[in-house]
Amino acid sequence: MNTTHHYTEEDLILHYYGERRGAGRDVERHLESCSPCRTAYQAMAGTLALVTPAEPPARGEQYGLEVWQRIRHQLPERENAWWMAAGWFGRNHLDTAAAALVLVAGAFVAGRVWSRQPTPVPASANLENPGNPANLENPGKRLLLSVVADHLDRSERMLTDIMNATSRDISVEQAWADDLLNTSRLYRQDAEDVGEPLLANVLDDIERSLLEIVHSPSNISPAALEQLRRRIDAATLLFKVRVLSDELRRREGTPAERALPSVPTSRIS
Amino acid sequence: MQMDATEAAAVLARARQGDGEAFRTLVERHSRPLFALAFRLTGNEQDAEDVVQESLLRAYRQLGRFESRANFGTWLHRIAANCAIDLHRSRQARRDQARGEQIDQAESIPASDQTGPGRLAESAEIAQRVREALDELSPLERTAFILRHYEGRSIDEIGKTLGLRTSATKHSVFRAVRKLRVALEVYRP
Repeated sequence: MNTTHHYTEEDLILHYYGERRGAGRDVERHLESCSPCRTAYQAMAGTLALVTPAEPPARGEQYGLEVWQRIRHQLPERENAWWMAAGWFGRNHLDTAAAALVLVAGAFVAGRVWSRQPTPVPASANLENPGNPANLENPGKRLLLSVVADHLDRSERMLTDIMNATSRDISVEQAWADDLLNTSRLYRQDAEDVGEPLLANVLDDIERSLLEIVHSPSNISPAALEQLRRRIDAATLLFKVRVLSDELRRREGTPAERALPSVPTSRIS
Repeated sequence: MQMDATEAAAVLARARQGDGEAFRTLVERHSRPLFALAFRLTGNEQDAEDVVQESLLRAYRQLGRFESRANFGTWLHRIAANCAIDLHRSRQARRDQARGEQIDQAESIPASDQTGPGRLAESAEIAQRVREALDELSPLERTAFILRHYEGRSIDEIGKTLGLRTSATKHSVFRAVRKLRVALEVYRP
């Protein structure tokens, strides 16, 4: 292109963003020799240079977990659920499922009729199925339930500290909560892996409260502290933690070592 | 949260099969970069949080349609760009309703007097004017421009992200640049 012909504004915008590909060198050469185009390009580039992005506010390491806690209860139905796509609810599969159900029911009745010996309840049995002896045979699971009981006790103490805090400075509790947070998460994953959904759910609830505590201002306002307490209260978290901890100890046959003389212990009847 | 490609692919495969824990891992891994993008697209912290949340919920709903060979992060960013457009559209509809037949503010807001202010004050003023000018763009123009100007995406990529033809994508960027030039004319060095 010679100096009697000029590039359009659109050409110059594409050149500015490197979208002219092979023609980029031609534009460069033209701009060197054509004053009107050079002036137009410099004016445009000067204005666009003013448009700079603002720095996004910082988000901590736990941000992903916070987002998860916010959306987990809103997760919608999946489109094209895999088992639907795979045709698992086809006629043949329903027939198979019905046959399996009959077999399971038969086995259950047979077990009721022929089993005369009571089965001892294992110490670390599944909390939702305490009579299942298979749970006891897993030493890893037994160990997990034991350490989780300790973790629940520590979490209970920390939450109780928050509930009874008289100072606005909760930095000590926050450091404690931060420490518990990572452990809680690991235990929750382990609880899910060994088939303890009830335990996993309570650990998940604890995680949410710990997150809130960690992300509150260290010098918390009385109103914010009251709100925090109300949310812990509304989730009946302390109650759940105590019941679960007691239950785990009871199954272990170990008395719970409590440092909470002022807090009455509760038990699900 | 670091994981190698094989592990990432395995997590993604489990999430596609409906494993909630695997989806949680994806959320934890992608939320921070997603927030940064959402913030640049919306220019507002609260809106960015809304876009992050909505994008992840949409991603969960559509996960069955995600092609495993594609990059999950890129796919998620595409969803976020479209969520940002939806958010701006709903904002703009409300604003237009309130404004009625008022004239286009982008050309009517005068820049403040240049005399006296220090460099810092001036740059804060320019930043504010840029925000206002971006707010005056149409949702499509704004998103296309930000993806090109801030994110460095090519016109072709932006077209794929927004479901536009290349010519329509170019014209969105052109219109955005033109409007910004008008709005920022007085600050031009």
